[in-house]
Amino acid sequence: MDKAEFGATGEERACQHLRAEGYRIVARNWRTRLGEIDIVARDGDVLVFVEVKTRTGPGFGGAEGAVGPAKRRRLVAAAKAFLAAYGCELAARFDVVALEGNDIRLVRDAFQVDDVWATP
Amino acid sequence: MFGRLRSGTLLGIEAQEIEVQVDVGGGLPSFQIVGLPDKEVSESRERIRSAIRNSGYSFPSGRITANLAPADLRKQGVGFDLPIALSILIASGQAAGPASAWMILGQLALDGAVQGLRGVLPLALEAAHAGLAGVVVPMENVSEAQLVRGLSVYSVATLREAVDTLHGAQPPVPVPSPANGEEAPAGVRAQHDLCEVRGQTAAKRALEIAAAGGHNLVLTGPPGAGKSMLARCMPEILPPLSLDEALDVTRIYSVVGLLPSGEALVRTRPFRSPHHTVSYAGMVGGGHGLPGPGEITLAHHGVLFLDELAEFDRRVLETLRQPLEEESVVLARAGVSVRYPASFTLVAAMNPCPCGHLGDEARPCTCTAHDVRRYRRHVSGPLLDRVELFVDVPRLSADELLGRPEGESSALVRSRVVAARQRQWERASGGARCNARLGPEEARAVCGLDEEGRQLLRRAIARFALTGRGHARVLRVARTIADLEGARDIGAAHLAEALRYRNASPLRES
Repeated sequence: MDKAEFGATGEERACQHLRAEGYRIVARNWRTRLGEIDIVARDGDVLVFVEVKTRTGPGFGGAEGAVGPAKRRRLVAAAKAFLAAYGCELAARFDVVALEGNDIRLVRDAFQVDDVWATP
Repeated sequence: MFGRLRSGTLLGIEAQEIEVQVDVGGGLPSFQIVGLPDKEVSESRERIRSAIRNSGYSFPSGRITANLAPADLRKQGVGFDLPIALSILIASGQAAGPASAWMILGQLALDGAVQGLRGVLPLALEAAHAGLAGVVVPMENVSEAQLVRGLSVYSVATLREAVDTLHGAQPPVPVPSPANGEEAPAGVRAQHDLCEVRGQTAAKRALEIAAAGGHNLVLTGPPGAGKSMLARCMPEILPPLSLDEALDVTRIYSVVGLLPSGEALVRTRPFRSPHHTVSYAGMVGGGHGLPGPGEITLAHHGVLFLDELAEFDRRVLETLRQPLEEESVVLARAGVSVRYPASFTLVAAMNPCPCGHLGDEARPCTCTAHDVRRYRRHVSGPLLDRVELFVDVPRLSADELLGRPEGESSALVRSRVVAARQRQWERASGGARCNARLGPEEARAVCGLDEEGRQLLRRAIARFALTGRGHARVLRVARTIADLEGARDIGAAHLAEALRYRNASPLRES
């Protein structure tokens, strides 16, 4: 299983988990020049941009810790592009799904636009 | 999705009502505070976010903008945490707005607890002035807020309690019975009493005159003669604070966070004795951003005691000149200017020379004439021109040292001081002012002299080269001495005593 497949399996599991949590999946692997969003979903009235992070097991500071400032800035840029592309005026949020082995964790409202520089 | 509440910010010891407006809109998640917030106000974002989450509410997604109006006024302090957090909850439908207009103040801890803040008294006064029905304050600040009449005070300990209060679930804190609001607590033993000071009858008399008329006093003498002890008796012989004066003082101490815990109202006259290394900003007020009050303002309605006057930085002493005349100080900075009250009685103590023994027959002074001149140069003429009473505090004799401390108690002296002040109030047409604070017009009206007095004054002006201000001050002291005696007019004897204090200045080079 190469890296891309490993990631794709993770994203599939993440989608299942989000649906179980009551999210509706809107788009997957939405791409622009500025960055990519793994999953776009609706949680009630809120549009959620989800980043999926996969690890084979605990260690390396945990999967959530891997969403650093550079990644956050790319996500914010991509999210802006998404909202602009669809003329969407919903309130939005960034979530992170962390997969570690068989463990799965959903971090709601993982970060905000104004703390892309802050350490997680 | 909009929420709005009222709060307030401090401008020196005044306050200004501020409207907190919060908009929760669509878009990427962000939280901004606009409306000229200072650093501590901007930092409240992190406290608010955590407090909302940890109180079991959800922090709304989307773009949140909090505006503090009027937007052109600099906002200070941590009291905006609570009104902003509540406005966010109102805007996101998690709380209801209050039924009537309240001023909401409070600092938030990360766990959602509401913590106390400084300056609640002036803020509550402003709330009443602006016609608001009540204030919501942290538990610690309730007694301060209750000093303001006609205002319902709501006490909150947590963000959740504050939300319930907005719903009307909490009644206002009952106002304590007036018995515990007006009268000073009886039987409080003063730390220093005049009867404990041995000898020094001349100095005690000068202290009494200073207290009765609000005159400034300089005590000169060798080390160990009792200068500091005398000065520390001053607050106890001054008349007790009136309710208005107590409110003025409490307002200042509320802003600087020096209110004694457990006591709502400051009841004792301030006695401030800054060390002689005090800086310019420490003395008159200052600091970055909005300048804060200094020692002269903390001594408002009380005593500013400068021990070792000649050791103070000359530049710092010079700054006292204007406040001594105007009873307030205006601190102007780029964009802001604040006025702080500073109506204090100056009491200073110093040695006559660097070694301290000049003029003592038993112990020769070891200073050269040059040393003495240099020492005295620290204290400028213009500053001393504003001092009415100079008095020597000599070394005590063996008899005085070994005998029993005798003399009048502070309470007895105070009763005479109060009576003398009473005469001043009765005479004053507009407002209660002590003799030292009379304007030139009022002074002329009450300081009339008979023919003998006029002759004496004429000779004194020529002989001692009294300035215009100097002679006006002599007249006011004479008025105070007459008031202490209960005399209607100033006699030649009163004037002669006043001239003696004026002329006893050891700093006069003659």
